[in-house]
Amino acid sequence: MDVEKVRRQLVAPVRIFIVRSVTFVALLAACSGGESPRSDTPTGGTLVISVGGDPETLLPPIATTTTAQIIGDLVYDRLAEIGDSLNTVGDSGFHPRLAEAWEWAADSLSVTFRMNPRARWHDGVPVRSSDVVFTYRLYSDSLNGSPYAVALADVDSVTAPDSLTATIWFRERSPMQFYDAVNTMSILPAHVLGNVRGPALRSSPLSRAPIGSGRFRFVKWSAAQSIELAADTANYRRRPNLDRVIITIAPDMNTALARLAGGEADMLEQIPAASVANIAKDTSMRVLLTNGLDYNFIQFNLSDPGFPSRAHRLFGDRELRRALTLALDRASIVQNAYDSLADVAIGPTVRAYPTTDPSLRQLAFSRDAAIRTLDSLGWKDSNNDGVRERNGVRLEFSLSVPTSSKARVAMAELIQEQFRRVGAKVNIDALDIPAFVDLQNRRRFDAVIGGWHVEPSPGGVRQTWGSRGAQTSGSNYGSYRNSAFDAQVDSALAANTLEERRSHFSRAYQIIIDDAPAIWLAEPKRVMAVHKRIRTVGLRPDAWWANIAEWSIPASERIARDRIATGR
Amino acid sequence: MNADTPFVIAGYARRGRRWLGRDRSARFAVILLAVISVVCFLAPLTAPHDPNFQPDIVKLRNAPPSVEYPMGNDQASRDVLSRLLYGGRLSLTVALLATLVSVTVGTAYGAAAGYATGFVSTILERILDALLAIPRLLLLIVIFAARRDMPIGGFILILGVTGWYALARLVRGQVLALKAQDFVASAKALGATRMRILTRHILPNVVSPVIVAAMLGLGHVIVLEAGLSWLGIGVRSPDASWGNMIQDGSASLDQMATSWWIAFFPGIAIVLTVVAFNVLGDALLKALSPRQSGIE
Amino acid sequence: MAAFFVRRVLQGIVVVALVATIVFLLIHAAPGDPFAAAMEDPSITESVRQTWRHAYGLDRPIGEQYLRYVANVFRGDLGFSISRQRPVVSALADALPNTLLLMTLGLIGGFALGISVAVVQVRHRGKALDRILGGVSLAFFAVPDFWLALLVLVSLTSWLHFPIGGAVDPVMYDFLTPWGRFVDRVRHLFLPALTLSLLYFPIIARHQRASLMEVLPSEYITTARAKGVDERTLIRHHAMRNALLPVITILGVAFPALLTGAVFIEKVFSWPGMGFLIVSSIQGRDYPLLTAAVILGAVFVVVGSLLADALYRLLDPRLRDER
Repeated sequence: MDVEKVRRQLVAPVRIFIVRSVTFVALLAACSGGESPRSDTPTGGTLVISVGGDPETLLPPIATTTTAQIIGDLVYDRLAEIGDSLNTVGDSGFHPRLAEAWEWAADSLSVTFRMNPRARWHDGVPVRSSDVVFTYRLYSDSLNGSPYAVALADVDSVTAPDSLTATIWFRERSPMQFYDAVNTMSILPAHVLGNVRGPALRSSPLSRAPIGSGRFRFVKWSAAQSIELAADTANYRRRPNLDRVIITIAPDMNTALARLAGGEADMLEQIPAASVANIAKDTSMRVLLTNGLDYNFIQFNLSDPGFPSRAHRLFGDRELRRALTLALDRASIVQNAYDSLADVAIGPTVRAYPTTDPSLRQLAFSRDAAIRTLDSLGWKDSNNDGVRERNGVRLEFSLSVPTSSKARVAMAELIQEQFRRVGAKVNIDALDIPAFVDLQNRRRFDAVIGGWHVEPSPGGVRQTWGSRGAQTSGSNYGSYRNSAFDAQVDSALAANTLEERRSHFSRAYQIIIDDAPAIWLAEPKRVMAVHKRIRTVGLRPDAWWANIAEWSIPASERIARDRIATGR
Repeated sequence: MNADTPFVIAGYARRGRRWLGRDRSARFAVILLAVISVVCFLAPLTAPHDPNFQPDIVKLRNAPPSVEYPMGNDQASRDVLSRLLYGGRLSLTVALLATLVSVTVGTAYGAAAGYATGFVSTILERILDALLAIPRLLLLIVIFAARRDMPIGGFILILGVTGWYALARLVRGQVLALKAQDFVASAKALGATRMRILTRHILPNVVSPVIVAAMLGLGHVIVLEAGLSWLGIGVRSPDASWGNMIQDGSASLDQMATSWWIAFFPGIAIVLTVVAFNVLGDALLKALSPRQSGIE
Repeated sequence: MAAFFVRRVLQGIVVVALVATIVFLLIHAAPGDPFAAAMEDPSITESVRQTWRHAYGLDRPIGEQYLRYVANVFRGDLGFSISRQRPVVSALADALPNTLLLMTLGLIGGFALGISVAVVQVRHRGKALDRILGGVSLAFFAVPDFWLALLVLVSLTSWLHFPIGGAVDPVMYDFLTPWGRFVDRVRHLFLPALTLSLLYFPIIARHQRASLMEVLPSEYITTARAKGVDERTLIRHHAMRNALLPVITILGVAFPALLTGAVFIEKVFSWPGMGFLIVSSIQGRDYPLLTAAVILGAVFVVVGSLLADALYRLLDPRLRDER
């Protein structure tokens, strides 16, 4: 694993000098080899990861936070797991998990999986193909409101010819059909969830205490404090090297950093730019820099927060959104908040995708153009209080930010001022993560500074910006709907060559950039701090946690908490 | 106001000037407060820059003190000194007005409770005892956290309305003591109504402890407002107040360590102002307390 | 004495009811009332919402809701905390001992420091050291508590590596030896308790100095002096005993107020007490938790001042018969 150290220049203001030659592809090339089990590594050790907030639920079909995804990937298995090369086309990039092997039908409209007979749920019950059928039903049932149902739209059904065989049937062929079906579903235990459907899912026991088949077992969840996982020593794949993984919750970044410095936590998955230099000085820590596959943005709510069927009093107007976009100096904002640790976001995508064309036509920053456009749209400040009005509606709105991200909070202050200069009044509303997620889910906002951690396939935009994601349970919180955009995305995903796919995505991205349902802010790099003694392997760019089961702590470097006997 | 009032006030002024001359620390406090007040209230004239202006969010972010920005720049490149001055203007105004509300309500209630007799007096006293037991900070937190879009007027009013209890008890005690004095008895014998006695004879003598309490209360409100703003439920951005400047400057430990000026100067400003108010209040207490009975 | 107790207890009940009422009114006017989160979840069907509304009595007239609410408060049912995912009472029960522990240590530290400073001041009364210490006291009295906490945090954590966040090491605590647990607790307590002590010593020093100065010229001190006892011993043994009484009144004022004073300290050091709960429920929009914490705070103030008054009366017989 190629470790990228961060070097800094010694004078204040602190600046981090990054070797930019390490590209995403190079990292990928170096990050392979996480799959071979290391039978020579003695087992043991406790890994403590510090995160910024509680997950809203631990049930994968309805979970949207990264923390929930980390735990879900450790506790649950998929039929097959994508390899570190993140090849989403076809099935060659996938490794067996719950499925030992699979076979395509001649017409490629179905694929049959042979389940691993040794796989067991953490409560001892064997994993069977009926669980796969059950899982598919859970994800696709509209009553359950899973935002991931969109990705399963091409799946027609799932059948189980016998207890160790499951077949997925597709409506049509497409290059990403395998990825869509297999990567989306974390297989869940039918015998535990039973007939629970709808809103009751969120309060079901499995939502707070997952039972999976993965290499880590869930132990306990103390809300607002920590979530504990332990090694599943009898796992059908070899047991993990570590004994325990503990996720501690520290919504306050100072506390998180202090815990890291004091040795109470082993890793922090995102360090703010201002703290990187300090942590780099700490000899017990390693700083890892990767392209994080994240992007954030100001998301406008195109619907009225109180009455979803009505257009938003301000943001239902495309021209107003475009005018506001012109008012922001995004490059400076991003540099202020992130130093050199982020690029300006291009659109609902990241540069790491080969299908992203960074030269798409953006709405260029021009305060004068913004002012002129607002004037021409009829927004005038008639009472000279600095805020424009039109037909009795003030150009004033709330901007909600999660407090856990210092960078977004900093950007909010800058955005507020830059909008003020063109006559728009912004009220900043800071909340912690669970409340923020709740706000987005209920669509009770004017504008938020939201962000997405993207999946390996650019097809994720279907959920986050496509019309199908705009339904009440989807992840398209702003309710942006444009059928031309949807069509281009669908064409892209059905395309057979990279050029074709790229061209369709470019057209789709251009449509959404022009519609401006969001102002694209930053694409931050992921800067992680990890304790020196942890041997990290297989840091997948889209999911650095994917291979935690292969991480280890050499016996000679163990500290007190590694040596705790896990009698559980 | 009666014919004696100008003499009463002149008497106080004379007394005040006398101990000011004697008490060095009080003199220093007055000068300090005067400087702070003038400089802050005249912020539009004294501040070198617009407090919300972000001149260069890239190059001047967290810039250390320089000639052009004597107290440095914050994360959004705003001038800390200008924000300090405008923030002081806001914080002091809020404190003054809130204290004014408290003093008014508290004096009125205390006078009524002290001068009334029998059942009414007991009721008023009991209510006061109950109100005194309410934890002020917690109540304010609940109010302002539940109602985030509160205009500044409402903020001041609520601050004032939650802080008059101790003052009322003080005034009540004073009025009770004064009620029994000879001059009151003689005024009654001369046929004065209760209202007249209260307003023209008793209240002027209550002024001095009220002023002392107001001084100390001012300092308390400044710290209270700063704390609420620091929590994010007081003065909201982009408006500067000493409290939310500290919030800006304490976003992270590393920022506090490397860009110390952002949180440091507002804190010092609060300390200096509150110390000055306390010193002044103490000095007033010393000067005015031994002679409380009757007019000079 | 009995009449005193009865009166004060009744008064206390009135206060708590008053606070609960204010809080109830605020919450029902607040945008995020306890059930909004679930009520407005679009994935929950209307019929389910109706059922919940009925079950929680939200479809009753507000008067009835209010009575139910007050009854619940007095019964001890304070609702369900959304952010902690457990009954509010349970979250409070965990947090309260932490605050009490911190408060007690802060007070003890404040007293120790305050009395020492006062003694030094009195021994050097009138001289430079007296004035300097007086000035220092005043500065610490005037300093906003959250700012001082931040200063302490920044200056000491970088040098001394005290852990912050939580009362104990979240991972290791269960596995430590009893001595190890004690040390762990002390390490987490140190910074917040130190800050509290620094905040409280000024008042104590000031009062102690004043009362010592008052007592010193008194008759029996003069007698002791005539007997040849040296000044240091005088101050320490004779004066202190008499001067301690006003200190107890300070306790009476400080103790109830300490719960609110710790709010900012707990936030800065992430000390999991009542104050931390209150502050985190602001950003977490967890109104059930917030209101319950405030009500508990009021109860605490009432009980604290009752105890303080009772103690004062017990100690000073002159006051026992006073109204």
